[in-house]
Amino acid sequence: MSDIFWITVAAAIATYITRAGGYLVLSRFQRIPRRVDRALNAVPAAVLTTLIAPSVLKGDWREALVLVLVALATLRLPGTAVFMGGWALIVALRSLGP
Amino acid sequence: MSDAKRSEIIDGLKSSLPVVLSSMPFGMLFGALAVKNGFTPFEAVFMSGTLYAGASQMVGLELFGTKTAPWLIVLSIFAVNFRHVLYSAVVGRLFRPWGSVRMALAFFLLVDPQFAETERRREHDIPVTWRWYLCMALPIYVMWIIDTWIGAAFGAMIGDPRTFGLDFVLPVYFLVMLMGFRKRRSFIPVVLVSGVVAVVAEQTVGAPWHVSIGALAGIAVAMAMPINPEDDNPSGETPR
Repeated sequence: MSDIFWITVAAAIATYITRAGGYLVLSRFQRIPRRVDRALNAVPAAVLTTLIAPSVLKGDWREALVLVLVALATLRLPGTAVFMGGWALIVALRSLGP
Repeated sequence: MSDAKRSEIIDGLKSSLPVVLSSMPFGMLFGALAVKNGFTPFEAVFMSGTLYAGASQMVGLELFGTKTAPWLIVLSIFAVNFRHVLYSAVVGRLFRPWGSVRMALAFFLLVDPQFAETERRREHDIPVTWRWYLCMALPIYVMWIIDTWIGAAFGAMIGDPRTFGLDFVLPVYFLVMLMGFRKRRSFIPVVLVSGVVAVVAEQTVGAPWHVSIGALAGIAVAMAMPINPEDDNPSGETPR
């Protein structure tokens, strides 16, 4: 079996641990230490930012423009609509020219 | 079948419908992108069926493309899925009367909308039964797998990922997800620091290390923020 297969198995086990773990572990504690809670809360935003940041620099003005517009649009509009709009916009901008 | 049982089933199916429809494009997108990133259709469907967590599956794809060390991919997926810990801490005790086998299965199916709906029922004192839970969860799960398979079949037919902007959909997707966290404490400092550190690390240390270095820097900032004695909500969300 390929690497992808085994990494998927490990990631699936890790994911299951997060889904059952809250009940099995956290519900035994009265409360989570504040700093730990802070760290856990920051994880998704921190990880996602590192995945986006390099692509801001890699593309040209079109990619940068779309990302700025998408970020602004999420302040008002539902996520799925913004995602679809951003996707349509990059296709449209690229079809305009070099 | 009694009326109560029937209404639990209908309620569950009704709750599943909007989730099935709204997750459809993402399931297909995942399948198509997976194939473009070197997965076989089987591997894409296998990932959807075992991991069953859309956002983290997309993160996994992104990292597979960059030859990241396996343990780092698993850790990143774990990090993105960590929010589920809070879900199971909140609703897990509702599953207890169902017995341990059903409980174990219920945790596997505890995706974001399933948690939201379960919690909504609990808040409104509507009983959370195994029958209702499964009738909501199962269509979402089965359709997620079918969507992935359709997307993978479709993706195999696309030659250049730049067609249809497929090379750029993940950054857009991640950005939309990121903005969903904007109400959390220290959002702006975390984003700024992770972003700048990730870019610097990518230029100096190189990919894929910018992911873990950038993320750790952002997390460190969140931990270092002064603790205000009167803000006392454990989830870190701004009260609505």
